[in-house]
Amino acid sequence: MAETYSDGTTTDGTGEGFLNDRTLKWVGVAGSALFTLVIAAFLAYIVVVQVNFALLVEVFQPQFVDALYTVLTVVVVGSVLSVTAGVIVGLARVSKTTFTRSVAKGYIEFFRGTPLLFQLAVVFFGIPALWPSGQFPFQNFAYPAAIIGLTLNHAAYIGEAIRGGIESVPDGQMEAARSLGMSYIQSMREVVLPQAWRNALAAIGNDQVILVKDTSLLTFIAVPELISFFRNVNSTNFDAWTPLLLVAIGYLAITVPMGMLVRYLEARADPAGRGDR
Amino acid sequence: MSDSAERTESESASTERDGQSAESARAAGTERPLLEFDEIDKYFGETHVLKNVSLDVPDGEVCVVIGPSGSGKSTLLRCANRLEEIQSGEIRLDGQSISAKDADINRLRQRIGMVFQSFNLFPHKTALENVALAPRKVKGMPKEKANERAADLLDRVGLSKQKGSYPNQLSGGQQQRVAIARALAMDPKVMLFDEVTSALDPELVGEVLGTMRDLADEGMTMMVVTHEMGFAREVGDRIVLMADGEIVESGEPKQFFENPETERGKRFLSRLL
Repeated sequence: MAETYSDGTTTDGTGEGFLNDRTLKWVGVAGSALFTLVIAAFLAYIVVVQVNFALLVEVFQPQFVDALYTVLTVVVVGSVLSVTAGVIVGLARVSKTTFTRSVAKGYIEFFRGTPLLFQLAVVFFGIPALWPSGQFPFQNFAYPAAIIGLTLNHAAYIGEAIRGGIESVPDGQMEAARSLGMSYIQSMREVVLPQAWRNALAAIGNDQVILVKDTSLLTFIAVPELISFFRNVNSTNFDAWTPLLLVAIGYLAITVPMGMLVRYLEARADPAGRGDR
Repeated sequence: MSDSAERTESESASTERDGQSAESARAAGTERPLLEFDEIDKYFGETHVLKNVSLDVPDGEVCVVIGPSGSGKSTLLRCANRLEEIQSGEIRLDGQSISAKDADINRLRQRIGMVFQSFNLFPHKTALENVALAPRKVKGMPKEKANERAADLLDRVGLSKQKGSYPNQLSGGQQQRVAIARALAMDPKVMLFDEVTSALDPELVGEVLGTMRDLADEGMTMMVVTHEMGFAREVGDRIVLMADGEIVESGEPKQFFENPETERGKRFLSRLL
């Protein structure tokens, strides 16, 4: 084997030591195998020894399903609103008007520069505090606060993704569209945004996965999501691993299909791929 | 009075070679050229890139603008459909100001076709969709009619088989011909060509120049910035030589290429050989 690779060459840096270009592949395989083994053993131990299946069945319905449903609802509403708002922020971010551009920049700086937990606190505790004690008109404010907080926060990230997407579309595209007599809005909608969207999809998908995970912070404002579910089960049953297993499955059940959806959308938005069909 | 008479005389002199266009101008009762640059100045920051440039392009003329790189020829062309703003002077199409602050630029641009060096086809649309897009969105043409017209135009540039192809499936020459068809789809009065063969492989230049020659033969008014001297000489009605932001010489191709009047013109030609 070695002769095949080093045939005719002298010192190419692959010849010395334990870790070299030839052994790297096998080191990688060995490392991965070890990792898989440890994790599998650990998981087996958790599932067999730690997880209480009677409890698992007991808390699955309705507690877990309700919590998962809550996360799913918040994610769907938050996704639609944050992507919509993010496109607007992104468009404002590339505006030719300095004022509009600066406002968008300030918005992004604030919402990316402060923690989501803080922003949730501002919405959930700060906003009602503006009314005299007991006068705040909303009874169940946790859900609206969750949606508002997640939307404002993620619109900033998506705005940046859209800005990057728009900026990576060559200037000639806008020029070609405008020189045909199309207005700025028509050119954006028909020519620049579809390409910008394609460029930004990976970043947007990434952000939406983070949005799913960010719902865990909603436990702080008393939204009955998956972490709240864990805390309830854990404190009443003194069992950590049974609810933890469910929580892990719950998040992955949303984020994994979401990743697949993003890859599907990317493939669909690829003109070359479409043309090959 | 005498002043205006003089101007009329000089204008008719400038269009005299092209009998047809002079005739059509007379028939329309107008004596002004189709595209006019009137003492325009353009700055990029501190740099003075167009210096008091005046140029008239009469109806039906193929005006070829040549000159060394950095001479402002592409900028001049880009000013003509306001992809660049000018700082003083005026540019008019058929007497209507393009450069005025309140000009209805989207309307005016429909009458000015532009073809770019880098094609700038819309990569997410097929050749047919590229051509049909603006007529549909800007003129509100029904989809079927726009597609039908687009197909005719693609036929005309020799690409009837490539209607469903995406730009990245076409050669450079094919892409540029789609770009020409796309510009023609808006029924422009004048076509601007900005170094349209410069990004092409040498063996693909001919097909694009051929399409442009056909267009010129059909009487299209064209302003062509190019480095293709063969084309300039053969198809051009007039050669405009630019250097350092100024028009240094303007004349008939034969006259210009055989016996340039200015020192600058002589030097430019000697460098080509």
